[in-house]
Amino acid sequence: MSALSHLEDWFASRGWTPFGFQREVWDAYRAGESGLVHAATGTGKTLAAWMGPLLEWLEEYPGATAPAPSKGRGRAAAPPLRVLWITPLRALATDTAHALAEPLEALGIPWTLETRTGDTPERVRARQRARLPTALVTTPESLSLLLSREDAPTLFEELRLVVVDEWHELMGTKRGVQVELALSRLRAWRPALRTWGLSATLGNLEDARDTLLGVGRAGPSRIVRGVEPKQVVIDALIPPRIERFPWAGHLGTQMLPQVAEAIEEGESAIVFTNTRSQTEIWYQALLEARPEWAGLIALHHGSLDRKTRDWVEDGLRAGRLRCVVATSSLDLGVDFSPVDRVLQVGSPKGVARLLQRAGRSGHRPGAASRVTCVPTHALELVEVAAARDGVEAGAMESRLPAERPLDVLVQHVVTAALGGGARPEDLLAEVRSTRAYAGLRDDEWAWVLDFVRHGGQVLGAYPEYSRVVERDGLLRVEDREVARRHRMAIGTIVGDAQVTVQYVRGARLGSVEESFVARLKPGDRFVFAGKPLEFVRVRDMKAWVRRTTTSRGTVPRWMGSRLSLSSELAAALRARLGEAARGIFRGPEMEAVRPILEVQARWSRVPAADELLVERVRTREGHHLFFFPFEGRLVHEGMAALFAYRMSRLRPISFTLSASDYGFELLSPDPAPLEEALAAGLLDPGGLLDDIPASLNATEMARRQFREIARVAGLVFPGYRHAGKTARQLQASSGLFFDVFQRYDPENLLLSQAHREVLERQLESSRLGRAMHRLRSSRVVLTEPERTPPLAFPLLVDRARESVSSETLADRVRRMQIALERAAG
Amino acid sequence: MTAGSGDAVVEIRGERLLLLPERAALWEGAGTLLVADPHWGKAAAFRAGGIPVPGGTTAEGLARLEGLVERTGARRVVFLGDFLHAREGRSPATLRALAEWRSGRPGLELELVRGNHDRHAGDPPPGLGIRCVDPPRAEPPFVLAHHPGESPAGYVLAGHLHPAVRLVGRGRQRERLPCFWFGAEGGVLPAFGPFTGAALVEPLPGDRVFVVAEQAVVEIGDTG
Repeated sequence: MSALSHLEDWFASRGWTPFGFQREVWDAYRAGESGLVHAATGTGKTLAAWMGPLLEWLEEYPGATAPAPSKGRGRAAAPPLRVLWITPLRALATDTAHALAEPLEALGIPWTLETRTGDTPERVRARQRARLPTALVTTPESLSLLLSREDAPTLFEELRLVVVDEWHELMGTKRGVQVELALSRLRAWRPALRTWGLSATLGNLEDARDTLLGVGRAGPSRIVRGVEPKQVVIDALIPPRIERFPWAGHLGTQMLPQVAEAIEEGESAIVFTNTRSQTEIWYQALLEARPEWAGLIALHHGSLDRKTRDWVEDGLRAGRLRCVVATSSLDLGVDFSPVDRVLQVGSPKGVARLLQRAGRSGHRPGAASRVTCVPTHALELVEVAAARDGVEAGAMESRLPAERPLDVLVQHVVTAALGGGARPEDLLAEVRSTRAYAGLRDDEWAWVLDFVRHGGQVLGAYPEYSRVVERDGLLRVEDREVARRHRMAIGTIVGDAQVTVQYVRGARLGSVEESFVARLKPGDRFVFAGKPLEFVRVRDMKAWVRRTTTSRGTVPRWMGSRLSLSSELAAALRARLGEAARGIFRGPEMEAVRPILEVQARWSRVPAADELLVERVRTREGHHLFFFPFEGRLVHEGMAALFAYRMSRLRPISFTLSASDYGFELLSPDPAPLEEALAAGLLDPGGLLDDIPASLNATEMARRQFREIARVAGLVFPGYRHAGKTARQLQASSGLFFDVFQRYDPENLLLSQAHREVLERQLESSRLGRAMHRLRSSRVVLTEPERTPPLAFPLLVDRARESVSSETLADRVRRMQIALERAAG
Repeated sequence: MTAGSGDAVVEIRGERLLLLPERAALWEGAGTLLVADPHWGKAAAFRAGGIPVPGGTTAEGLARLEGLVERTGARRVVFLGDFLHAREGRSPATLRALAEWRSGRPGLELELVRGNHDRHAGDPPPGLGIRCVDPPRAEPPFVLAHHPGESPAGYVLAGHLHPAVRLVGRGRQRERLPCFWFGAEGGVLPAFGPFTGAALVEPLPGDRVFVVAEQAVVEIGDTG
């Protein structure tokens, strides 16, 4: 019997028939091709990628079918590593391994299959040090750790395939770049290596493929489209009554009764929120609304302990849970078939994101996917209508590829030097074969080499410095302490220092950011993992807590990136508001939000599509200017800095800036010269190339961005607080590094990277430029409302983030007071 | 010396202290410059550990110190602890730079009141001619120390904390700046070292706080 018919029998035994796209991938793989498969979640992408290598093996070894040995002597006899399966979330690794194990067993293929992530116990690691399994499910960080092993080149001698799952999640991020670099190393060792990416549908699929496969690839490749997405329904819970005052549409958890009813309509629901804090808040609220659901509802986010998350995921799969409140931690991964109801609390932020979440429901045959949006602010109803428009128009967001982040490259060069060493010229060729570094300049490469060998040009004279050395033409790491620290840093490419939260006598609950714990005093209460806790003390990088009874307490906040409205959704939003300005309110959401927009029109104005609304309001805090370009928060942050900078050049003045998805605020103690600035070209796109970097320098944005860069490039080590004494003396904050570099080594390329990242990633400078061009041709409408109108209200209560000033620091400080860090009570 | 335009003056137990934006204080009556937490060699210690900190911090710190001695005419400098950062930071280049500066100021009296880092890093090389003493060192009306505290022997001037405060102003302005902090029984100086961070302190009502705002030391009104 042929391998293929063997496989088809297995499909038939499950009552399945292979999809055309799956066969296409199997054939292409066996013909030596690489590629990208895109489709909605739960449509068979996993089997499309997995069956190719299994068929290939069955064809190579026609007689060899036996049960797969997992331990003991049989394990040593199993074939060496053939398939690497990379998953972005370690939480997904176990599920993926389960899904992959099934056909292995059924087809009697004697492969070993294991996971390796940050959660892998030491005894399994030790076993894997001796011998890797035939198929390994792992994360980008764990793969880089494998590459840093001295014997790395020999580990991959039989490697045929790397599958990168959920590539859309990784692409464009530093972890994605880490994968690109790892793949370039593997391809150098195994030129015939094939790569397949699995992705949700994106606006720029070809970029996604090219980024995954690299620019120097030899073999043919293709993009395979999976099955058509199911029908998608997007609707909203409409508030029964929209308060116009004083919160101007702010709803908080007022929608709770309707949310609880919506959950009751289905068998099993996922309630998605946009932040981990919101997850904790909604979980508590639901428990208070339906005490009888205790034990039947759960919460899930990336900071919870893995055991808790596993329990929740198992519960969802088994249909044991009525409802799970989750963040994007449940966006990805295997099916939760029993889920038939999905709710989205708060702004959908993007069209593709909302579709992805909708796709978590309705896996039963014939069922449509449905997502119900729950506004936390009445104006979010406009976003729901806009998102539906976006889905109908097929306006999928793109993921921008990352451009040569030097911090990741610095890390990679040290990894390569550890992992058997590398010749600089070979390494450069590998690095340039990736999309991210195809444009790497010679001087940048020289700088990176110099940085790891001598600490940079300015350190040339410091013989005590050593990180990477050159021996017989090979880059090597010889200092064991440097090696240890580097391996520690690989695993912490993202996020701030985390502190484990654990009961004084007992289980781990998860982790919170160190900055949150730093503000706690013994006896303080907070809510975490859905449990009311009392803080006892911090020791050994752990926050020790005990259970309390009252459920009142603060909720930790995680820094995480605050998502911005996508440009696709922003455009749809402007179109809807433009209609409203003409008195057109289409659909239930627009009808519901109409009273608020009418208040906005009465007190100020609802801007037409070709208008830029500016509101000038005076309060006890000072003079506020609100601008409403409706371009998404990131663009607004950049525009706020730019406008503040341009106005501050007209006279000495200090601004505090805040931004939302709708607009931004410039707040100053003295009146701002708005009219003068408009006449002098405030909206002029000319001069942006000079003014944007200058305005950026006036803020702290680059300094903040440097936190991540300092970590990735190995300047700061999150684990050091609990390390030994010598280690503690090597501790400095990334902010201090930033200041020292800026003052003593201003040409340092990591600094320019910080600026570039703020411009490209954070401010999306290309979007900013487009937005400025759009604004130039729009009419400025200035209103001076007596009270803060609904659109401006969220900005008024937002925490200020940035400042731009043209006064001397001493002059500003003379009018300031010491902040009382702890508010009363 | 007359106070410069960026300097501030505080009077404690009858003695005038000039608070200087170079992050040091001049005890006028004693012709003594007080310098807390220079952490010489910190950057070198990092480099020895494979962490690339740019050079130039020692040179900048020494230039600032030299400028202070020049402009105040101080006869004596007392370091309030943490002279050297770590044993690994005793690099030849750092020690050479210190020695060179010292050779240009042979008559200047130098003293170190030892701090926690000095225990691990060791005393400065004898060639620098720095008298090293353990705290507290009573010099009425003051007690010079590294760790802040109270003493029956006098008003305690110390370092160690690298103090900073967060300021707020109208229009939601915020700043975080290093400061001089004077309580009823003792005062804390900002860290002098060019490669040192700062930690927020919480002054009590009635305390006096002077922030270092670039070229000027500015007293902040009551904590309100």
